[in-house]
Amino acid sequence: MAKIVVLGSGIAGHTASAYLRKWLNKKHEVIVVSPNEYYQFVPSNIWVGVGRMKPEQIRFKLEPKYKKWGIDFRRAKATSIHPEGGNGSDRPYIEIKYVGQGKEGQTETIDYDYLVNATGPALRFDKTEGLGPDAGNTVSVCNFNHAAHAWEELQKSIKKMEAGENQNIVIGIGHPGATCQGAAFEYILNVYHEIQRRGLNDKANITFLTNEYEVGDFAMGGAYIKYGGYITPTKVFTESFLAEREIRWIKRAGVNKVEKGKIHYELLDGTYHEINYDFAMLIPAFSGPGLKAFDKNGEDITSKLFKPNGFMIVDADYTKKPYEEWSAKDWPETVQHPEYANIFAPGIAFAPPHTISKPFTSPNGTTIVPAPPRTGMPSGVMGKIVAQNIRDVVKGKRKLTNLKHKASMAKMGAACIVSAGYGMTNGMAATMTVFPIVQDWEKYPEYGRSLRFTLGEPGLAGHWLKWFMHYMFLHKAKGYPFWWLLPE
Amino acid sequence: MDHKAHLRKITRGYNEFSYAPIPTKFTKFSRKCIIYQAWRWLVLNLKILRIVAFGHS
Repeated sequence: MAKIVVLGSGIAGHTASAYLRKWLNKKHEVIVVSPNEYYQFVPSNIWVGVGRMKPEQIRFKLEPKYKKWGIDFRRAKATSIHPEGGNGSDRPYIEIKYVGQGKEGQTETIDYDYLVNATGPALRFDKTEGLGPDAGNTVSVCNFNHAAHAWEELQKSIKKMEAGENQNIVIGIGHPGATCQGAAFEYILNVYHEIQRRGLNDKANITFLTNEYEVGDFAMGGAYIKYGGYITPTKVFTESFLAEREIRWIKRAGVNKVEKGKIHYELLDGTYHEINYDFAMLIPAFSGPGLKAFDKNGEDITSKLFKPNGFMIVDADYTKKPYEEWSAKDWPETVQHPEYANIFAPGIAFAPPHTISKPFTSPNGTTIVPAPPRTGMPSGVMGKIVAQNIRDVVKGKRKLTNLKHKASMAKMGAACIVSAGYGMTNGMAATMTVFPIVQDWEKYPEYGRSLRFTLGEPGLAGHWLKWFMHYMFLHKAKGYPFWWLLPE
Repeated sequence: MDHKAHLRKITRGYNEFSYAPIPTKFTKFSRKCIIYQAWRWLVLNLKILRIVAFGHS
């Protein structure tokens, strides 16, 4: 009888555990270890950040749901992985430390046959001095608590504008190597919409501050789309969206310090600058959660399982090579650890072989390049194929050395819908799809991607799609009838 | 600010912001036109479904 432990309850972990429970009978154990009390549909945090949704509308409690499904839920943080076992046993296990369920502070070991490491990102506000809600300067929309706090702070700025004060609003990326440009772009459009519908445009000076080489890079090296009779880069499409709303942008910027009312950043040309703000939302750098790993003798083998940034080593090609030699084949297909084949890392938890965007370094030695995005749709797809592969192995149809299901980011597409406004007719979205996420210059030598399935389109249709997705994905995550028919 | 005033402000800027394409009134109308957008909604859904279906094996 198989025992499968899933670390994390985000999009990748929740998808994997839900499918595993559906496909494997109750003789097999599925255990989820997560410090989170709630499942949250992260893309809708943006709406919480502008007061259009309450946190309760984008989350639900995990424990009752998992109890109903027959999943053993431990509200705890995993602290270490022992893939070779220990203490006289060859059976692999993990150590956890409870943060809830009345067992706060208690530690426990859980042995496993298969481990799914879907821990997602640790928000590293500490990587930029003064950044983040805890420092009391900038806000964030990376989780529902942060987003609710962002809305409180934004309301203060709106009240000041209503009283006749001008406000500098800065939204963007708070670290030279941070990702999630799409979320920052969506938030700035929503903030603009809230200001515009109150007739306060003249009081707001809104700036998009980003580490992208060009806006519209979205950490994917940008994309080419057919638009208005031309094949254009997403730079044009994105700049148009910003210019239409009189939102200014500062690109190639690595934020290095935040003070009360002032953001310090370095540009790729090596110059240092400051920008004043009254309200600022900056996305922090991400890292893995800091799990340790030990062999059966208790020797530290963390570097064997994880890259220095805390993300897990999987079946990718991590050979250091110049940008020109990067290939679609570098990207992992099964997100399986190369040595410990019963460990998988779907979603943000896996270490990418390199960025997707071309890295640049300033004369001062600061590398300014967005990290690759692996949230949302790719996370869900990876979670599902991990569940499919474990199911096949458990049922004896496949071996761990010969997995059938694959989902390389260089072969899968993604949809990114940046929607502003609320309601059926009072909204506008920039819908972007890319296929594949990572450019495949061998298959698509001209533009790196399929022009048929890579598109950018502004309009109400995308706004409806975003609404539809919010309800559809929450329906799926809650395991409501026919949830498994819905795509990731 | 009305559309014309906005365009004047943008195009006289002589900075990076001045060179971004700005949608015409017709483009803005088509982005909000319910019938056209309903059609686009269908097209976008089909494209995304195709992307999901062929993106993994």
